[in-house]
Amino acid sequence: MWKFLIRRVLQIVLTLYLFATIVFFIVYLQPGDISQVYINNPKLPPEAREALKRQLGLDQPPHIQYLNFMRNLVTGNLGISFSEYPRPVWDIIKERLPRTVALFLIATLIYYALGFHLGKLIAWRRKGLLDYSATIVGVVLFTVYTPWFAYLIIWIFGYKLGWFPLGKFLDPVLWRRYDVPANEVFGLMLTVGGAAILFLLAVYVLGRKLHLPPLPRALMNFGALGLAGGSVAYLLWGPEFQPYGLLARDILWHMVLPVTTVTLIAFGGAMLLMRDSMLEVIKEDYVLAAKAKGLPDKVVRDKHAARNALLPMITSFVLALAFVVDGGIITETVFSWKGMGLTLLDAVTNEDLPLAVGTFVFTGIFALIAHLIADIAYAYLDPRIRYE
Amino acid sequence: MAVPAPPLKKPPKGRHLEAPWRARLRLLRRGLAGSWGMFWESRIGPLGLFIIAFYGLLALAHPILMATVWADERDVYDPKHGYDPQIIYGGFDGRLQSTVAPGSDDYYVDANGDGRPDYIYAGWDGVLQSKAVGDDKYRGGPAPPSLRHWLGTDPWGRDVFSQLAFSARAEFFLGVMAALITVVIGTLVAAISAYYGGFVDTFFMRLADVVLLFPVIAFLIVLGSMFQLNLYSLAVVLGVINGFGGITIVLKSQALSIKVRPFVEAAKVAGGSHMHIIVRHIIPNLLPLSFLYMMFNVTSAIFSEAVLSFFGILNIDMSWGIMVQMANIAGYLQGGAITKAWWIFFPASISITLLCAAFYFVGRGLDEIVNPRLRKV
Amino acid sequence: MALLEVKDVTVHFRTKRGEVQALDRVSFALERGEALGLVGESGCGKTTLALTIMRLLAENARILGGHIWFKGTDLLALPEEAMRHVRWKGISMVFQAAMNALNPVYRVGDQIVEAILTHEPKVTVREARERVAELFRLVGLDPKRMDHYPHEFSGGMRQRAVIAMALACHPDVILADEPTTALDVIIQDRILHRLDEIRKQLNMSIIYISHDIAVIAEVADTVGVMYAGKLVEIGPTEAIFRRPHHPYTEGLMGAFPSVRGPKRELATIPGEPPNLLNPPSGCRFHPRCPYATARCKAEEPPLVPFEVGHLAACWHPRNA
Repeated sequence: MWKFLIRRVLQIVLTLYLFATIVFFIVYLQPGDISQVYINNPKLPPEAREALKRQLGLDQPPHIQYLNFMRNLVTGNLGISFSEYPRPVWDIIKERLPRTVALFLIATLIYYALGFHLGKLIAWRRKGLLDYSATIVGVVLFTVYTPWFAYLIIWIFGYKLGWFPLGKFLDPVLWRRYDVPANEVFGLMLTVGGAAILFLLAVYVLGRKLHLPPLPRALMNFGALGLAGGSVAYLLWGPEFQPYGLLARDILWHMVLPVTTVTLIAFGGAMLLMRDSMLEVIKEDYVLAAKAKGLPDKVVRDKHAARNALLPMITSFVLALAFVVDGGIITETVFSWKGMGLTLLDAVTNEDLPLAVGTFVFTGIFALIAHLIADIAYAYLDPRIRYE
Repeated sequence: MAVPAPPLKKPPKGRHLEAPWRARLRLLRRGLAGSWGMFWESRIGPLGLFIIAFYGLLALAHPILMATVWADERDVYDPKHGYDPQIIYGGFDGRLQSTVAPGSDDYYVDANGDGRPDYIYAGWDGVLQSKAVGDDKYRGGPAPPSLRHWLGTDPWGRDVFSQLAFSARAEFFLGVMAALITVVIGTLVAAISAYYGGFVDTFFMRLADVVLLFPVIAFLIVLGSMFQLNLYSLAVVLGVINGFGGITIVLKSQALSIKVRPFVEAAKVAGGSHMHIIVRHIIPNLLPLSFLYMMFNVTSAIFSEAVLSFFGILNIDMSWGIMVQMANIAGYLQGGAITKAWWIFFPASISITLLCAAFYFVGRGLDEIVNPRLRKV
Repeated sequence: MALLEVKDVTVHFRTKRGEVQALDRVSFALERGEALGLVGESGCGKTTLALTIMRLLAENARILGGHIWFKGTDLLALPEEAMRHVRWKGISMVFQAAMNALNPVYRVGDQIVEAILTHEPKVTVREARERVAELFRLVGLDPKRMDHYPHEFSGGMRQRAVIAMALACHPDVILADEPTTALDVIIQDRILHRLDEIRKQLNMSIIYISHDIAVIAEVADTVGVMYAGKLVEIGPTEAIFRRPHHPYTEGLMGAFPSVRGPKRELATIPGEPPNLLNPPSGCRFHPRCPYATARCKAEEPPLVPFEVGHLAACWHPRNA
């Protein structure tokens, strides 16, 4: 497995390098020097213009510019934003990246779980009306015009039903009462959430490693789930942790609709993938063998067929990644959720070159890391790779 | 025990041997007939084809309507510059009619039909401003669907149906053009990487990895801020990006399996050049799969255009995405306003969704015929 | 009463091109401890027959008639849940292409343990694992191997593992569908003999299904010959080989080389097996049969005994 992972890491580093090079060529090496447009931007303060000139190294020959660009990228020196002058780009990214990661992570967990189970069910009862209509719904969700869809969701749940706030990251009226920076609360939320997920994962893996019979293992898993859920609830509502708990709840409250939107647009694709993958696995001899062994239908479906159909689904997760990131940009824009996507769009409309480049490069890095995680998951789930 | 074989039938005299192209055409026709049956049975493919045909007719209808029904009022029905002086200021209930006060830039509206103006609409600099004379029960805005304007008018008084039909042509052009470029590049790259292998292969496959991970929309946002992207350049950019992307990986693995088939060996032994083998043997066998992926790429191109137009990144003056963007700028998408003038963005949004889905449906229908891994059974 | 009795089983498949008549009124009986060999060209319905007995046919299959009596109950009339208990506990199966019959993501031992625990819920995991170790020894595998994954096994080892799996719940009948086809001849022979020994040791019945008449000749007590979805001849192995009645059986004998017998020309059966979408009238073999007459074309010959326990369906039997 280590050999596989090391190879994948090397490949990803190579991919990242290629990615950065392409960005450099697009941004800096255009005929007529595109960056001049930005330097002569009248909105730019004079001192920023000087700094930008120095940072871009426009007087240097192209290969030196390239080396500088790469060095700056590696050291995280992405320059100063001039739409939010004088904040360094790195500083802005540090603030915005976690928001996108949180949105993306939660939505991904939900839509994969949903897509996996529904895809499994419709494939198992293929060719029926359910299969046909689920395929159509899946495709339509996959191709639905995202901005319109997101506004419809806001209208239904935010306006008509009034269940959720109408966008934005938090409620400014509430936050004005407490002098707590939003990022601090958000950072805490991510830490707690991450710890809870790691804990659950550890318990699950431990249960498998111990070869426990099904019942104690289920008890252990549910116990861990209860413990993690209880702790999180205590942190949110416990009087000792206010106003942090309250503010965290406010952020969570604002997160529901954007998460729902990303989940819905990505869910259709995941469901169709699982269905197709499952239909192929069903033809395999080991599924027939599992049925012949007299295993209950559900066990054949879940333990034998679905477990194998999951593998191609993880591979295609990588293919779906760019799609979900794109969907995230649209969703962030519609919901005024100030993450990487909206920051990129704003940077571009404000002609803020350093911020645009920085955000774009980090969106790429983010996608690459997700790719790597998918690889690790694949290696873990497929013994043919795990025991190489 | 062997029974003597029946004598081979001689070809009837007086008929020349069938020309190769004729034989090929006949085989193609027979193949198509069989495939059509399977395609029809997929049920999802014909559905997609039906939707595509509908929008195809819509696209064709626009110039015809402009030349016939709308010929006398081209200024009213022009998708980009038209406006209808009669009902620019249709109220939300469709009751309000406007009268134009001569010699003034302002428009007076008689709401209750008592002959006195109730509202004054001061000129129009982008978004319509309204001033109420009496109370402000009504505000200016787009006209709802009527016999005169089947899908109503937008905030600027332009006919929505005309815009929708006019844009359909552009969507088809963009989608098919981008997908064609993608497929041509993808097929060539796949055939070449599979045939030569080695460094060429590694390079193209790593490049495909990068492109796959490229959030295309984010990339085009950055690109659109630097260049003026119009419909043509967008089609080329999308086509090229996708052409080096995932399609090459899929087609390459197919090309690899073709490369080891006996007829390729035979062509090599017979002394066929590399170029000959790639062009005459590998690429023709890749084409069915290429065609399948073309459908998926049409979807992705149309979708990308719609989203980029919504962000106002593109230099296009009319498309379905632009229609939604304009509704958004005018504030008709936010919160409760969404119900007030649904006709200005619902048709466009639904059209984007349906046409994208339609090509995807056709792709899935074709998948069952073309895809080697599904065809096994 | 026979342990397993198949009576007039008819199965059709619905396909896009029409109705495939895969099995047509197939009947035979299997006694306890007996080894029956079913032989025939590929596509003659051997595997369909095995899957019909297990009731694992694909969704487009329709069982149009017949009964499968197993220990006095008709399997074709059993509710699905009851049938599930017959599978593996009563009748188990060694799959054709056993390479793929093991799930790649689970340990080989666990896949056998799973079968044991499903049918014998009172057995603990530890006991089941002990039984798997025993089975591994029985089929000639190292018990330490049970915690390995299928991809770590060679083809022969996988085949042995699949046989061990088939034995796991001490079934009364094992359906061995091309149990050794994918293996080289030496391993093939070794595995067949092992399986035969185990059968005698545990007093089980086995139905061998193969297109390779040499394999069948070696291990079967009784041989059934199938052609185009029909059982055309069945009888004791000796009788079938020495005095085949059906011309197809005769042709089949000629088509396989014999190492022991006298040297002779290798004959082939001319023509192709018929298309089961539209099988020939009368005797399904008549278009390929050198002895065919008008009667063969018009009337279907019934499966009738010519000697005790030796039945054939032919109007012009050979060696009779």
